[in-house]
Amino acid sequence: MVMREMRWRKRLLLPLFLLVLTTIYVVATFRITPQFSEGLVGPRFLPLLAALLTYAALVHVIRRELASDDESGKGAFWQPVAVVLATAAYIALFKPFGYSLATLLYVYALFHIFHYQQGRPLRRLLYAIAVTAVFYGLFALVFGIRLPTLLDII
Amino acid sequence: MDFLLELLQGFATLARPDVLAYMVLGFIIGTFFGAVPGLTSVLAIALLLPITYSMDVVPALVMCAAIFMSGMYAGSITATTINIPGAPSSMMTAIEGYALMKKGEGANALGHAALGSMIGGSLGALLLMVLMPLAAKASLLIQTPGKFSLVLFALVVIVIVQRDAIAKGLIATMLGVMIATIGIDVMQPIPRFNFGTEMLVEGIDMMPIIIGTFAISEVLYQAHQNHGDLRISLSQAASATIRRRDFLPSFAQIREIGIITYLKSTLLGYGIGILPGVGGSMAAFVAYADAKRRSRRPDVYGNGSREGIAAAETANNSMCGGAFVPMLMFGIPGDPTTAIVLGVLVINGLQPGPRLLETQTDLIAPMFASLFVSALVLIPLTLFLLGPWFVRIVSIPKGLLYACIAVVALVGSYVATFSIFQMALALLFGILAFFLRQQNYPTVSLLLGFILGPDLEQYLRRSLSLSDGNPMVFLTSPDSLFFLALLAVFVYFMAIRRPKQAGIEGKTTV
Repeated sequence: MVMREMRWRKRLLLPLFLLVLTTIYVVATFRITPQFSEGLVGPRFLPLLAALLTYAALVHVIRRELASDDESGKGAFWQPVAVVLATAAYIALFKPFGYSLATLLYVYALFHIFHYQQGRPLRRLLYAIAVTAVFYGLFALVFGIRLPTLLDII
Repeated sequence: MDFLLELLQGFATLARPDVLAYMVLGFIIGTFFGAVPGLTSVLAIALLLPITYSMDVVPALVMCAAIFMSGMYAGSITATTINIPGAPSSMMTAIEGYALMKKGEGANALGHAALGSMIGGSLGALLLMVLMPLAAKASLLIQTPGKFSLVLFALVVIVIVQRDAIAKGLIATMLGVMIATIGIDVMQPIPRFNFGTEMLVEGIDMMPIIIGTFAISEVLYQAHQNHGDLRISLSQAASATIRRRDFLPSFAQIREIGIITYLKSTLLGYGIGILPGVGGSMAAFVAYADAKRRSRRPDVYGNGSREGIAAAETANNSMCGGAFVPMLMFGIPGDPTTAIVLGVLVINGLQPGPRLLETQTDLIAPMFASLFVSALVLIPLTLFLLGPWFVRIVSIPKGLLYACIAVVALVGSYVATFSIFQMALALLFGILAFFLRQQNYPTVSLLLGFILGPDLEQYLRRSLSLSDGNPMVFLTSPDSLFFLALLAVFVYFMAIRRPKQAGIEGKTTV
């Protein structure tokens, strides 16, 4: 019973989050100041209409979720979170660390998350170096794109 | 006549070694992405999108067309050999193909899938080339109120095609519309929804949405589904030993399927392709259901029907040609792949519309030629050359694969504008799309809402300002009235009087 309750609460998180997001959007709609009047259908019209339709659909979805016994959505929790954290770190370090070092660390982290070459750290590192080098070749050498470097070296 | 010459010139351009190489490369990439369960041709083109900034437009479009065609076909490979459809459009092929595989006739099933894809793909491309000038002339007749009603029609179809998840389809579409409203207003020089940030004044680019929705969310989704080693087991791969000589379908089998099945499935697939947001899985399902309904041997369906494979594969590949019509004429993508191809056009400064065909056929014709050649030549050639190794190709370790996808996606979103902000946006949209996908919201609708939202708003406000705010203009304008009537018909048949087979498509929506 407790598990079931937790499951539907989890399923409600997304619609409730979207409800909050839509409300923030509606508040921002009223801050739009048109330069000239277009009558009813001005710069606020479509945003308000879209928000209204979203509210109606969200209410419908929430009501259905409350009545449903669906147990979908099973899966690992920490792995997507770890991917998000690794990606956020990669984005933050991409310029300061340069493409090579940041990508090497990122690929190594993803290999770890996906259990690739588990228990073989050296092989994992070699594969990470290979992936980093291959995409450096693609972007920098084939397409001639200037990628960020660490201390103007790599 | 001029158009015909331009088309022939397109084939000549395709014969250039560099362009040809891009087409073959695109075809191989599409085959790989189409065959690997979880990856799709949409993802392949999404990853290619940032790279097109550094490419000429012709090779970029040629490559996209080849990926589209091969990705649609390649889904049948793992559908047949290991009963896992490489793409949602191969669901029907999995039912019949895997049944044949278990009887030891897997190679023959692959041969029929390739033949159907070849016929459907090439006829669909031919129909596209033949009907394009007519579509261009017809589109010139459509005025602003008509354009509004057409875009409205497209958006409503995108929502109601979800059948058992209309509310979720509506939410995803409206989210796309709302994201598109960020930035400068379509009619007045005022910023909207920038929340005091300068970075949002210019609005949100299509690219981080595409990369986030299709690439980052896929990596997150696979991480979520990861139960240890995701590699397709080698025992499964080893058991799927396939010989080249078994690929060729016999003449008696083709005669039993009948030319009518191929032609009807082609027309069904092409017609469904024209409808916005419907896509290959619906085309395959409708053609399969139609073939079963009028089959002389309906009892074989479910137990390895070659007719079922032929119908489904013919239809999903002919859909490729149809999907280009609304995208090129009105900027309304027929499916997610053409939505991203639209991005390639826009990035290269090409605006969809009848003038595109008048003034820039030299850029578009090689893409049509690529669709045709990919279907007619490369599908059978790939089956013959790579067929015996298909299953081993897709048994690449998923850890390696998704690390590569993540790097291409993120570095790609950086190199497009050299902006870390774009990378962060891609991650943000990836997280949003992951949660939407996890709870069965159609993420494709989000992208289509994002693309069509600004057009809807612009045409609505322009129509009303031209008619002094009188909404009756949408009913008094014949073209607008036509699309509104069409909309009413679609709503009646697809949402009110639901067909009995509802539900299957909803389950296959990405």
